[in-house]
Amino acid sequence: MIKQLSVFLENRPGRLANLLNILESHNIKVLAMGIAEAGNYGIVRLIVDRKGEALEVLRGANMAVNETNVIAINLNDLSSAVRTLGDANINIDYAYTMDCQRVILKVNNEVEAIKALSGAGIKALEV
Amino acid sequence: MCTYKLSKSELVELQNKRLRWLVKYVFDRSPFYRRRFIENGIDPESIRTKEDLRRIPFTTKTDLRDNYPLGLVSSDLSQIVRFHASSGTTGNPTVVAYTKQDVESWAELNARCLEIAGVTPKDVVQVSYGYGLFTGGLGLHYGAERLGAKVIPASTGNTKRQLKLMKDLGTTVICCTPSYGLFLAESARDEGLDPKRDLKLRVGVFGAEPWSENTRRRLEEQFVESAHDIYGMSELNGPGVAMECVMKDGLHVWEDHYIVEIIDPNTGEVLEPGEKGEMVVTTIMKEGMPLLRYRTRDITILDDEPCECGLSHARIKRILGRTDDMLKIRGICVFPSQVEEILMKTEGVSPHYQLIVDREGVMDRLMVRVEVSEDFKTDRLTDLVNLQQKLEEELKDTLSIHAVVELVEPKKLPRSEGKAQRIIDMRKI
Repeated sequence: MIKQLSVFLENRPGRLANLLNILESHNIKVLAMGIAEAGNYGIVRLIVDRKGEALEVLRGANMAVNETNVIAINLNDLSSAVRTLGDANINIDYAYTMDCQRVILKVNNEVEAIKALSGAGIKALEV
Repeated sequence: MCTYKLSKSELVELQNKRLRWLVKYVFDRSPFYRRRFIENGIDPESIRTKEDLRRIPFTTKTDLRDNYPLGLVSSDLSQIVRFHASSGTTGNPTVVAYTKQDVESWAELNARCLEIAGVTPKDVVQVSYGYGLFTGGLGLHYGAERLGAKVIPASTGNTKRQLKLMKDLGTTVICCTPSYGLFLAESARDEGLDPKRDLKLRVGVFGAEPWSENTRRRLEEQFVESAHDIYGMSELNGPGVAMECVMKDGLHVWEDHYIVEIIDPNTGEVLEPGEKGEMVVTTIMKEGMPLLRYRTRDITILDDEPCECGLSHARIKRILGRTDDMLKIRGICVFPSQVEEILMKTEGVSPHYQLIVDREGVMDRLMVRVEVSEDFKTDRLTDLVNLQQKLEEELKDTLSIHAVVELVEPKKLPRSEGKAQRIIDMRKI
């Protein structure tokens, strides 16, 4: 299981750049990013290399940010992983890719999901 | 301090006596009021009691502007010892003039206000209202000094220094606008202070802008032990016209100095206690610039029932809005305080907001910009959409018009250190 940062941002030019600038200026590397938007706002989901520090600097910059548990798997395992989760009646809330080789999955029950995946021989990755 | 703990009948008797003095005083000395009386065929001798007041025309802000600067001064100019002025955003400012006795009375009324909120000579009172032409700072300053408390004349601004003074001098009473109070609490937390633990604020004296019960709850949770509403305006001396006692169920108006009526702002008809309308005030002790039936443009309700604190001075409900701040949107009256009330009780948003009104074709549109609070915890868009929809539904229920809610990032809306600037009206009418 890995931790994702979820950041509330206004949906207008420059806000995402501002967020990434803050991280970059603290030498925090973004490993994966997904955006969900609704009209004039959205949520940016990030996997970073130094999560603790990222949380601290983003809160220091008055951003609404919090942590969420997600699962990373190999892209090669995607279709079997999705089938396995479906069979175990676990919902995938959202997903996005990471560096062309891995997929981040947010499910409604991480513990059960990891159990089901490992039962099917699929490894949940660490970053 | 002179005693203000009079019985209701003593108060009414005093009011009628002082009213008779006032009418004669302005008729003899003020060309403005003399003309008003003559033009309306009113014999000043015929005004004997509060009920007779109804025959006298209202005095309005426009009268003050038209007679700028000193046309409404009744006393001899040689007796004036002080001027204050309110901002003139729409032309001339309003100048008010005080005699020595007026300054004395004003100090006395503010001392009473502090006293009924539980302030004692042992308290350290930080006055964080503006000092200068604005009456807030000096009014409470004089009151606190009259009471015998220790006064810190901090004035507005420089929030870091405000907090340092509070901490280092052990401030127990803070006087400022409620929005600045919330801002001070927020700033204290940003500096790593827990105001409730690291500061000793017992009493908050909050005024100069309308606020709500929810704001009180927030101020008392985050900032002061007990938050009290104070009311006043420069035309009526400044702060100290009315104040919440320890019961915090309405503001006692100092009836030995002011006669209050509530009127229908559209018809001018006097309403009964319990009915909502515009407050009209007659100053029965002022010498420099006394006003007869002054239309305050503040909307409230008069409560003449006895108060559990024992004072017989009638109470007004907190100011519900202003007749001129009141936004008319598609013909419906909207008060910013109604919006604030909703935000205060909604989890996930801060109490800071901005109302933007514009017009598309012939339709007015209201947009409410609201800050998502920093501790709003979600990674799911649906939670935000639900929050937005919930706010829109509640606004619709309360305001009776549809408002679009725009969620903005934390601390993105302007913070005001004086009267909050929360309304942007872009309608070209």
